[in-house]
Amino acid sequence: MSARGRIRLRLALRNLRRHKRRSLLSGSAMILAMALLVFSRTIAEGGHEDWIDGGVRMGNGHVAVEAPEYRTRRTLDHRLSPEARAAVKDALTSEVLTERLVASAPRLMIQGLASSSSGALPALIVGIDPEAERAFSALDEKLEDGRWLEPDDHLRAYVGARLAGRLKLKEGSRFVLTAQDAAGDITGQMVRVAGTFRSGIPEMDEGFLQIPLTTAQEWLGVPGASTSEALLLRNSRDVGPVRRDLAASLVDWGDEAAVIEWRESMPELNAAVRMDDWADYVFHIMLFVIAATAIINTILMSVMYRTREFGVLRALGLERGEVGRVVFIEGMILTAISGLVGMVLGAAVVWIFFRNGLDFSAIWDMEMEAAGVVIDPVIVPRFHWNQILQSLAFILVIGSLGSIYPAWRATRIDVAEAMKFEE
Amino acid sequence: MRGTIALAALASASLALAPQAAAQAAACAGLSDPTEIVDCVDRIMRGDSSQGISTMEVVTENWDRAMEMQVWSLGTDHALVRILSPRKDAGTATLKAGTEIWNYLPRVDRTIKIPASLMSASWMGSHFTNDDLVKESRLIEDYEITLAYEGDRDGIDVWEFDLIPRPEAPVVWGRIAYQVRKSDTMPVWARYYDEDGELVRTMTFFDYRELGGRLVPAAMRVVPEDKPDEYTEFRYSDLEFDVELDEEFFSLRRLRDTR
Amino acid sequence: MKRAWWKIGWRNLGRNRRRSLITAIGLALGYSAVVVMTGLSRGLVAEMIDNGTGMLTGQLQVFAEDYLPDRGIYDTLGGRDGIDVDALVAQVDGDPRVTAAAPRVYAGGLVSTGAATAAGVVLGVDPEREIHVSRLLSYIDEGRAPTPGQYEIAIGREMARQLDASPGDEVIVVAPGADGSLGNDLFIVSGIFGTTVTELDLGYAVAPIEVVQELVALPPERIHEIAARVDDPWAANDAATSLRIAIGPDGPAADVRPWTEFRPEMVEYANLATSMEWMLIVFVFGMAIWGVANTMLMSSFERRREFAVLLALGGGPGLIVRSVLAEALVLGAVALAGGVLMTLPVLVWWSTAPPDMSWVYGGFTMAGGLMRPILRVEWPTSMIFITAGAMFVTALLAALYPAWRSARVPPADTLAGR
Repeated sequence: MSARGRIRLRLALRNLRRHKRRSLLSGSAMILAMALLVFSRTIAEGGHEDWIDGGVRMGNGHVAVEAPEYRTRRTLDHRLSPEARAAVKDALTSEVLTERLVASAPRLMIQGLASSSSGALPALIVGIDPEAERAFSALDEKLEDGRWLEPDDHLRAYVGARLAGRLKLKEGSRFVLTAQDAAGDITGQMVRVAGTFRSGIPEMDEGFLQIPLTTAQEWLGVPGASTSEALLLRNSRDVGPVRRDLAASLVDWGDEAAVIEWRESMPELNAAVRMDDWADYVFHIMLFVIAATAIINTILMSVMYRTREFGVLRALGLERGEVGRVVFIEGMILTAISGLVGMVLGAAVVWIFFRNGLDFSAIWDMEMEAAGVVIDPVIVPRFHWNQILQSLAFILVIGSLGSIYPAWRATRIDVAEAMKFEE
Repeated sequence: MRGTIALAALASASLALAPQAAAQAAACAGLSDPTEIVDCVDRIMRGDSSQGISTMEVVTENWDRAMEMQVWSLGTDHALVRILSPRKDAGTATLKAGTEIWNYLPRVDRTIKIPASLMSASWMGSHFTNDDLVKESRLIEDYEITLAYEGDRDGIDVWEFDLIPRPEAPVVWGRIAYQVRKSDTMPVWARYYDEDGELVRTMTFFDYRELGGRLVPAAMRVVPEDKPDEYTEFRYSDLEFDVELDEEFFSLRRLRDTR
Repeated sequence: MKRAWWKIGWRNLGRNRRRSLITAIGLALGYSAVVVMTGLSRGLVAEMIDNGTGMLTGQLQVFAEDYLPDRGIYDTLGGRDGIDVDALVAQVDGDPRVTAAAPRVYAGGLVSTGAATAAGVVLGVDPEREIHVSRLLSYIDEGRAPTPGQYEIAIGREMARQLDASPGDEVIVVAPGADGSLGNDLFIVSGIFGTTVTELDLGYAVAPIEVVQELVALPPERIHEIAARVDDPWAANDAATSLRIAIGPDGPAADVRPWTEFRPEMVEYANLATSMEWMLIVFVFGMAIWGVANTMLMSSFERRREFAVLLALGGGPGLIVRSVLAEALVLGAVALAGGVLMTLPVLVWWSTAPPDMSWVYGGFTMAGGLMRPILRVEWPTSMIFITAGAMFVTALLAALYPAWRSARVPPADTLAGR
């Protein structure tokens, strides 16, 4: 930095220091704007990830492997053979996947009938591996009575509370599942209630139950098979690379195994998330615009009534351009400091008060379902550094744009007039 | 399994009520092991093949109706039931072949396979579901049978058996109590309990008389415990045993054949 | 100082037009943001309620007391004897809040082509009345609605796909009748509806009510439900209350339920959206308050000599406070004018021609209601005024501290230029 540059910097810093109250006021607007942006973006991001996470945990994972036509046919004819499942398992060991995979779980799904001595009702019966599912499904947290399935369970079922209620089942009650097996015969299977759950999604509570995978395989005559392998990833952003990697690994199994992602398996959730995304963008753009006017306003203010001061600087021998540069540097310093402080403040507030989640349950105490997902009233904020840095960059851009005009104004000051005007 | 016994009566049916009179009774009477006795009674109720005419009377809080039907059966896997009257339903037929149930609807001249999702629906408005028809099997396969009482009940010498489902048996009952007359091994009643020991439904047998050369309970009535005013009652007016039937008889073509 | 306060305020603002303008624009943007966001959020709620109730259920239903939850085929209005259907429909329709009412019969059964069979609900409707109550029939995109009195049936798109049936094809409908018989008949597929709500597209079929009654052996006077349309969904509660009284104990034992009772989650969401509106106001104006405070502080700082003179001449501090507050109020008024000018055209445009958003997202369900991919805006009438009030409160709050400071300007020092 040249000597003059250093002088300009010192001048700018001195100006900021000298007018502490003004600097503080201007700065606080930006700090607040930045803190609000950080707060709102982490909450929005967190709400989103929660939503997707909730959806894919209840459903088929971020990414799933299924037989190509299973999605439309939904019969055991379109299942993953033990060999195909082994291939999927191999594919999971790739570097791309090990880095991103949280859990994988096999599922064997069939539409059937649950009957007790008090009646019979249609149900979606899903064979699961309790060990694998533990890290995956959110259903175990929705326990109402009894317990969730355990690894050595054999003839146990985890049943939707309303289904259990209508069949008059309670913990330990025996009931019979009936469905068409792989050979086309209608076969029955006795199971006992291990526990019941209440998910808040009416279709699940009324017609969904889980049984151990091995029990389902034996009952339906498809040893070792599953209808889908669901993968839960660290983050919804990992879907792209994981999908590509899996598809490449399973290229030889194209006839038997297809890779699909949650946006396809849950089109409704996809649409809802996109709409919410869009609403967030609109909201943040508005927030940005309001923040921008606040920032420009404060910087402009801080320049406009310093006519006399600039007059003095000019009188001391600074050229027009240099006065402008001093003002510009001032604005930049102010913005940078405020932006950083705001960022830290916003992050700190979110971290200290809301890292365990922002609880909205006071204003929405009921279970709210959207796109087949129950929205958790507790939103855990998520920090994405690139998003926060984006906000910071935005503040800096606005700050520097906001400083240009005042700087230009400062160059236009007529020394004689400025000195005449007594502050 | 809403009643293996019930079923017997129903579609798979004829058999149901077809105890082989004296000779069989004697054979059963000679047995002492509860499982053997129940199996023996169960077997008589199911002859190899049968053909008969039965009325089904259904009384519910919403309607009363009576239907006359012709029934053919072969073992436990095959049965064909054709409604003879009332006129509105005449010709309607149900075919049970293995685990599948088909209905023939004369009004539209079509056969329809009952999908799994409708297995829980009532069969012809009765207190039995389509599922009941499909899930028929022999009692001894699904239940542990013990003798709970032996002796005099209302002046009749009887056995009372307790049927407890085997651990993995695909049946919904917690327990079945089954009373059989000692003198002629005629069933008297079967009571179906849930796991808490609550009585859910009762089936009673009566009007024992000779049909097709055998002594049978010609009538059987099912009463659901939660609606004691409702019942479904079967009553045979004609019954023949060991008729000439083979599996081919129980075909979709035969189902459509209104004759 | 006899001039009106707003003139004083206007003059004060005029001292530094550019600064005032920027502040006013900031406030106006805030106003615009809140009103437009509220409009969008209410549009979302209205869309949800509209589609959630308008698709099938209607906003109000009258049915036999014990019809729910099992929807038994025998639980008809008026029990076994039935009711005078036309009279009751007319009575429901007669409520001033009800736009249209239609009788319905529900039957559970099978729709089959012989080769393929699907289980579902066969809904018996009066097509001419039904079209004014629910939109299900208007979603028929292939073929047409069933003709009254004819054995015609409209089925959902998914069901059609399962059955491989198209308009003109013959299907068998089988349904257990109310007399225990197995109702069955041949129907011609008249049309196929695609609502995108899987439950409806897969599990519903619609046929003329008299034909369905015949199928399930119900006489014409026995129906399960009267569904009604209430144009303002929030009036459904009142309509239900007055209908309950109108039908009274002498009429058939009927339960009248507004959508708020059978879709409580939608009410819940609407409440949530309302509380979010308040959060939005606090959020936006909480930020705007800084901008205004800043302006006012600068402005009063510039005028401190003027204030000092006033005080030195014996003017009370109240005069100065009033002057500063007047400036803030006028600033608020200017901003409001600007905000309204910015907002109204957008609202008018969006509410008359909701932009199609299907390029961003497709339809989805929310709390059981289908959402169309359009940017629907409802006039947030109350919010237009509440936000205006909030803006003035913001301006005044922001002016309080500057006003207080101005009133305490030390006259001597200030005039001396220290």
